[in-house]
Amino acid sequence: MKEKLEAIKNAAKEAVSAAFDEKEIEELRVKYLGKKGELTAILKQMGSLSPEERPKMGQMVNEAKAQLEELIGKKAKELKNAATELKLKAETIDITMPAKVKKVGKLHPLNTVLNDMIDIFQSMGFDVLDGPEVETDHYNFECLNVPADHPARDMQDTFYLGTNLLLRTQTSAAQIRTMETRKPPIRVICPGRVFRADEVDATHSPVFHQIEGLVVDKGITMCDLKGVLEQFAREIYGPDTKVKFRPSFFPFTEPSVEVDVTCSECGGKGCRVCKGSGWIEILGAGMVHPNVLKSCGIDPDVYSGFAFGIGLDRLTTTRYKISDIRLLFENDKRFLDQF
Amino acid sequence: MKISLKTLKYYVDINVSVEELCDKMTLAGFEIESIEKQGENLRNVVVGKILKIEKHQDSDHLQICRIDVGKGESVQIVTGAQNISEGDFVPTALDDSYLPNGAHIVAGKLRGVDSFGMLCSGEELCLTEADYEGASVYGIMILHGDNLQPGTDMREVLGLDDYIIDFKITANRPDCNCFIGVAKEISVVLGTEFKQPIPTYKTVGENIKDYIDVNVLNYDLCPRYIGRIVKNLRIKPSPDWMQKSITASGMRPINNIVDITNFVMLETGQPMHAFNYDDLSGKKIIVRNAKEGESITTLDGNEYKLNSDMLVIADGEKPSCLAGIMGGKESEIEDDTKNLFLESAKFKRDNIRHTGRALGIRTEASGRFEKGIDIINTEYAMNRALQLISDLDAGDIVEGVLDLNEGLPKNRILTVKSADISALLGVEIPESEMVKILNKLELKTTANDGVLTVSVPSIRDDVEGRADLAEEVMRIYGYDHIVGTPMRGDVVRGTKLPERIKTDKIKSLLCGMGAYEIATYSFISSGALDTLNLSENDERRNAIKLLNPLGDEYSVLRTQLTTSMLSVLATNINRKIEDGRFFEISKRFIPKQMPLTEQPYELPTMSIGIYGKDEDFFTLKGIVEEIMKLCGAHTQYERSCEAYLHPGRQALVKANNVEACVLGEVHPDVLANYGIEQRVYVAEIKLDILLGINKRKSVFKPLPKFPAVERDFAFLCDKDITVGTLEQAITKGAGRLLERIELFDIYEGSQIPEGKKSVAYSVYLRSADATLTDEQIDTATKNIIEKLEKVGAELRK
Repeated sequence: MKEKLEAIKNAAKEAVSAAFDEKEIEELRVKYLGKKGELTAILKQMGSLSPEERPKMGQMVNEAKAQLEELIGKKAKELKNAATELKLKAETIDITMPAKVKKVGKLHPLNTVLNDMIDIFQSMGFDVLDGPEVETDHYNFECLNVPADHPARDMQDTFYLGTNLLLRTQTSAAQIRTMETRKPPIRVICPGRVFRADEVDATHSPVFHQIEGLVVDKGITMCDLKGVLEQFAREIYGPDTKVKFRPSFFPFTEPSVEVDVTCSECGGKGCRVCKGSGWIEILGAGMVHPNVLKSCGIDPDVYSGFAFGIGLDRLTTTRYKISDIRLLFENDKRFLDQF
Repeated sequence: MKISLKTLKYYVDINVSVEELCDKMTLAGFEIESIEKQGENLRNVVVGKILKIEKHQDSDHLQICRIDVGKGESVQIVTGAQNISEGDFVPTALDDSYLPNGAHIVAGKLRGVDSFGMLCSGEELCLTEADYEGASVYGIMILHGDNLQPGTDMREVLGLDDYIIDFKITANRPDCNCFIGVAKEISVVLGTEFKQPIPTYKTVGENIKDYIDVNVLNYDLCPRYIGRIVKNLRIKPSPDWMQKSITASGMRPINNIVDITNFVMLETGQPMHAFNYDDLSGKKIIVRNAKEGESITTLDGNEYKLNSDMLVIADGEKPSCLAGIMGGKESEIEDDTKNLFLESAKFKRDNIRHTGRALGIRTEASGRFEKGIDIINTEYAMNRALQLISDLDAGDIVEGVLDLNEGLPKNRILTVKSADISALLGVEIPESEMVKILNKLELKTTANDGVLTVSVPSIRDDVEGRADLAEEVMRIYGYDHIVGTPMRGDVVRGTKLPERIKTDKIKSLLCGMGAYEIATYSFISSGALDTLNLSENDERRNAIKLLNPLGDEYSVLRTQLTTSMLSVLATNINRKIEDGRFFEISKRFIPKQMPLTEQPYELPTMSIGIYGKDEDFFTLKGIVEEIMKLCGAHTQYERSCEAYLHPGRQALVKANNVEACVLGEVHPDVLANYGIEQRVYVAEIKLDILLGINKRKSVFKPLPKFPAVERDFAFLCDKDITVGTLEQAITKGAGRLLERIELFDIYEGSQIPEGKKSVAYSVYLRSADATLTDEQIDTATKNIIEKLEKVGAELRK
């Protein structure tokens, strides 16, 4: 019996080490350790042994069983690991193959830039307002200190819709509506679409976009204007950007300035982008003209303010180096996807 | 305003380089449009002396010349011209030279003979007789003069050594549209002396009143009119310096009298007009409105019909000059004109503008009147013109002046606290500095007890108060003194309008669904609505027209966004872009009445356009539904009948029972109008409706604790019963237990009777309180079947 057990054990060991896959090892487990397995069969034959031999034999069988169980378990684990490894290896993919994406769209570049601007000014406490695109002569010109016979009317070729009705030539019209409805302190920006009778070419469009800014309070100075614009310029063009004022003329501000920033391309050294000057003109600004304050019922002896108008289209074309403003209105998907 | 540097130097000392001058003027408010160095386009062309001329062997007109160009060895040049002789001095373009006509001259061969340059004609140098005597000769321009040296640069010979600076004059400074105005500013900026010409002249006695009678009938349109008589004119070319000065500023020299009037206009800003005295009928000048139906033939030979809004300078009979705009042909100064009536006047600027616009004429003079000229300066200009007539011996000045006006303005006196100027600027500028700057600018200023008293002459009527004085001080003191201060005041984050916030969310949603935002013009062509095949009385045709559009293409304010969207889809399809989703949020302009008397409604509108192999009506519907959901709208779909959409594939969407959207596949006829050859789908959404919906705040619902039960149903019904009807029935039947329903099959064909379809649904039932009992499920199932039977659908067995 002992020999038989040894024989089974050896045969089993051999069979297990030669086992090829998980199925075979499972069969071996049944063959040797199962209810009808060979070791179980030996246990069943124990009755024929003497009472002295029985516990010894029992122990030997149990040891053999434990040994085999461990062996089979180990082998089974090995085979499983090998099988998994094989399977995973077979599943290797080419990771350079194209990604599967649910395509997302994009905002129009004008609005991407606008949203950045809104964020900057909102963080400085500016409320964001809207105004009508069809304006009256009163709001677009008269209240802005451009009376009927004023040569400044020639500065902006206006689209007219009827007597006294026109497409606004500047978001400044929204200044007036704001000052009429709000009392100082006022701190607003009014982004919007504006219209001028400019023939379409690479740098002109009859439809374009501005962001009007207005601050009115007691004791507002030109230094405050510069401070706000410096903050804006640093966020848009980078922390080292400098701001320069050049005197200019707008009927609704006095003093009026054109605002230049150091060219972000060359850092002010002079390059093709800034035509060698080191500066790029980005907007017009100034202190709100006393006549404008008066026309809105705000006492210019008590309050002062500043206003600025930023050309969104130009800001967008310079930011992305877009060569032709017409591309903005052509809406080719390959263009829109770039920003 | 273009002015040559030499001209400016006559009035002011300029002790810096042109570049520095321009930089400084820019910082004082005079932007430089351009700096042109004369002769820049004439390079490597020198004086050559013809040493020898030989005939070309292989040509009967070419000649081979040896030219001394001052470089030791002479050069060989072949020319076709015949008007040259040995010993002549000629303009010689050397190898690698540039001519003003753009030509680049290099060495080459002419009929086999080397030619190392070119001899130039006046035409090739872009010169006329006025520039150089002999320039118009056919052939080579033969140089003349005593000091010609071979090798001298031709620019030197032609006197092209000046700079022409183009100053941009802002609309508030019409006083600077002249040499004197700019020169004064330069003198302040550079701190150098300004040399104002002091006009003096001699008269020949007599009395102007014996010559002419001047009347102004409309002082409103002509506040000042000054007339003088000059007799015994001696018409000849004006001197070289004057011609050059005028030419640099873009005008053409004509003769001494005309040139003097033009020069004085450029110098003082005051347009002058010279009448041929002998052509003035009745020896009268009457400044009056034109009579209806009167006409005038102007200097340029055009005849204009006038109306009574237009101001004319008439003689005893008829208009002789279109006031401030252009003189009449009849009283033109010609070479044989004997006597002159000279006018210096101020005309009202908007009247000149209106007349100029109405007749389509704009001249140097009218441009200046439109911008505004100074009523005091009118007299100075007249005296200056007389001085030049006298100095250039162009005629004899008759004693006496006719100066008609209704009183001249006095200086405006402003009193401003110097502290207020500093306060507005945010920069402490010493009061003494302010006084100094303002006085230099000829704004006579005294300071007393912190108050500035400023006397503003009429020529600076743009200076009205504190803000203007602050600007005058600051632009000279220097804007670099302004130091930015960070935003002060309560620390708050700015707000956005609720509409903007919602719109931004909709845009994010659309981008997330793969759509690109587009931007198109707010105006469309007058025919754009026809491309949608809209009926004649469609309300969208009630659109606002621009009175002065750039062209028909941009002539109507849009009442819908779909036409713009279709154009964008067409652009992308034409460029072979396979698929695309696009959206635009803009405004539609709906007039409150026509003709327009008040601002129209500007209503936020959204358009969506999609195309490509994976797109159909239902992908578009999916997009629309997400938007509706985002806005908290409860939607209903109805069949619609838009002419521009496929009759069987379009829907009207109601949001909370209000018509809010039309979507569908575009009608093939409309596609043809856009040259599109594939199916595209568009939606137009009235965002004003959606933005007006108050979306309920989301409130947490506990996640289900009990299992759902799924039951599948297949029904047979008439083909034209919509699934919407079936779903409504199921919803009603299932009642409170319904969690959701899912359409999983629609089938027509074999085993289904003709005209019928099979529709299959999974219905999910669930209760929040307990696991559903069989009884509950059976009741719900029974109810569902009953409700479906009521709409004509039968359970398939």
